[in-house]
Amino acid sequence: MKTKNNKMSVFKKKATPWLILLLPMAFTVWLKYYPIASAFYISLFKYDPINPPGRFVGLANYIGMFKMKHYWEAWGNTFVFLFLQIALCFFIPLIQALLLNELIRFKKSLTTLYILPALIPTSVNVIIWKWIWHPDYGVANQIVKFFGGSPQVWLSDPKLVKFCIIFPGIIGGGLTVLLYLSAIQGVSQDMMESAAIDGCTGFSKIWHIILPNISFMIFIQLIMTVITTMQLLDAPYMYTGGGPSGASTTQGIFIYNAFNKDMNYGRGSAASVVLLFIIVILTMVQMWFERSEEG
Amino acid sequence: MKNKRTSRIKYDKSERSLKIVAVVFSLIFAGLMLYPLIFTVSSAMKDNVKIYEVPPKLLPGRGNSVSLVLDYSDIPYNNEDELKDIILRDNVINMFGINESIKDDFIMEVKVFGVKDGETIFYSRAHQMKLQMEQSYGVYKSTSIKPEVLLHEDRYIRANNSIGYEFDINGISKKVKNNLGDEYFEQGASALQSKFPSTGRLLSMGNEKKSLLNLENFKYYLKMPQNIYPNNERISQLGFMTFVINSIIVIGFAVITQVFLCSICAFVISKQLSERAGKAVLLFFLIAMMVPFASIMLPQLIMYKKMGAYNNYAALLLPFLYPFGFYVYLYKGFFDQIPRSYFEAAELDGAGSIYLYSKICMPLSKPIISLIALQTFLGNWNDFFWAWMVTEDQRLWTLNVALYNISNNSGTRQNAIMGLAVVTITPVILLSILFSNQLKQSVISSGVKG
Repeated sequence: MKTKNNKMSVFKKKATPWLILLLPMAFTVWLKYYPIASAFYISLFKYDPINPPGRFVGLANYIGMFKMKHYWEAWGNTFVFLFLQIALCFFIPLIQALLLNELIRFKKSLTTLYILPALIPTSVNVIIWKWIWHPDYGVANQIVKFFGGSPQVWLSDPKLVKFCIIFPGIIGGGLTVLLYLSAIQGVSQDMMESAAIDGCTGFSKIWHIILPNISFMIFIQLIMTVITTMQLLDAPYMYTGGGPSGASTTQGIFIYNAFNKDMNYGRGSAASVVLLFIIVILTMVQMWFERSEEG
Repeated sequence: MKNKRTSRIKYDKSERSLKIVAVVFSLIFAGLMLYPLIFTVSSAMKDNVKIYEVPPKLLPGRGNSVSLVLDYSDIPYNNEDELKDIILRDNVINMFGINESIKDDFIMEVKVFGVKDGETIFYSRAHQMKLQMEQSYGVYKSTSIKPEVLLHEDRYIRANNSIGYEFDINGISKKVKNNLGDEYFEQGASALQSKFPSTGRLLSMGNEKKSLLNLENFKYYLKMPQNIYPNNERISQLGFMTFVINSIIVIGFAVITQVFLCSICAFVISKQLSERAGKAVLLFFLIAMMVPFASIMLPQLIMYKKMGAYNNYAALLLPFLYPFGFYVYLYKGFFDQIPRSYFEAAELDGAGSIYLYSKICMPLSKPIISLIALQTFLGNWNDFFWAWMVTEDQRLWTLNVALYNISNNSGTRQNAIMGLAVVTITPVILLSILFSNQLKQSVISSGVKG
């Protein structure tokens, strides 16, 4: 009798944690894992929303998609966005943090100010910058005219539209500045002081001491930027809806249009799956690097 | 402190030049960051003409108030109602006439005084935005502003009721101010006479500058959704607040569920599972969170539609009903630091999991709760696409969706949408300045680990 009771209590002790976890895990499967699985599933069908899942077509959706010029253009756009993001905006928070670290006064209030861009939602940013880029009344054309250039149509110009969407990020700021700043402040003070005695001050201090010491942080941020830019959806959609003539269509907008405009759920899911794979690979690279740094 | 002083003495040339560069460029960046904000606030305070001024000015300037005095001493009338009708007609004609004929002069307020034998018998006042709203969405929607259109059928009565007025044949207490300027009298009087003739005789047209008028714009911006979506019951009651409330509901729900769910999961992972099992469960949650939204939005939408979670609050709230892996991870890091002995002692006394969680873990985890709440807020404040996909009904729109839709509405003027943008971000900015220290701590402590 006694042993039975003991067994019961051991079992109870082992089972309770899993019982508690059951609900959250079930919800995770339901709300996240199931949609992923169904993306795979739907991508194999010529999906019929009224009598799902419709006709099984195997990989035809993928093959058809890979033959689409539009699909590759969307990837091309995504990579141009990525290039612009890294060239124009990626280093700004780093520079801001490095300079902020050198300030003696106003450091605190400026740090607070630098958070602001993170609090301004994309919808508001789009409203502000659409007005700045406005061909007739915007500030952008006034500045161009001031320097003797000819006015542009900005967001309506297929060549400029990607630049216009990424450019607002150039003011930098955001939470990344804080992360860099805390990483910089974590660089050992002894190292800084001994470097200063050897005459390594000013810009050479930044170049030879600080940057090598926070290179890990920079790399992690770089991968984060790549991952988020790959998924770019809100900003181009709100600025232009993917236009003009598809010039700002990213992977996300391609997927959305596949089912919203073309009603082709199969193709949309196929594109989802491909995007998912690429993000998974990038995330694994990031995790691998993080682990190698820890270990 | 001592360290600082010695290092200050040690500044050599290259260090000094770095400091100068740091100060100059930090200030430039600060200016760049503030410019769009100042520009937005200033645009919101401009009037409907100034907003289209080229080149755009950074500062809005101060609004003008114009007071018209019309004399009715010599006007013949049969009874009180007839006189009132005459004045009401004049009122509409003068208000819209001023707004139309001298619109380049930043007239933000028109006051009309009707006098009879030295006694004020009529007073009405309208802000320029009010008149504009009547033209964009109200009584005079998509009509041209001409006297015959203004007075057509009962339009002028509806317009007067909407604007508001005081009338008493025995006199009212309102008096026109004495020390008003006289800048627009010539220009305004001739324009009114030729295009917008009124029955009463124009005695004077004083003007003054009032900064408060610029601020009054916001009052009308907030009412704008009512006018754009007049058929929606909740919006016609609450106006812009509908969207604010929706955003608060969604983010509040997200914060509560995440704080609660993630803490339970992390508690179990940290204290009740073996290390290996705990790691596996954590990974299970983390992977779910890393799935990019773009690649599951389609099957997610199909699934939600099938469940009936479409175009209702369920669709907006359900996505937060599972624990976000990253927050579980943050919680776990915190719970790991609570000594095991706390729990062992309680367990010996026969305490169950619920007791351990609610009486030991939660009271200790106040700092981490505020961190998770802040992180959830920052992470979901910007959410747009999902809310946009699943809401057709305007009363469900969150702030982001509403701003996007209103800004795409062709009738929306730029100053109005800028004003709504200001209304949206101001509370958040003020709160973040107030809690800036917690915010910084939260970002740094979560970011270094993640």
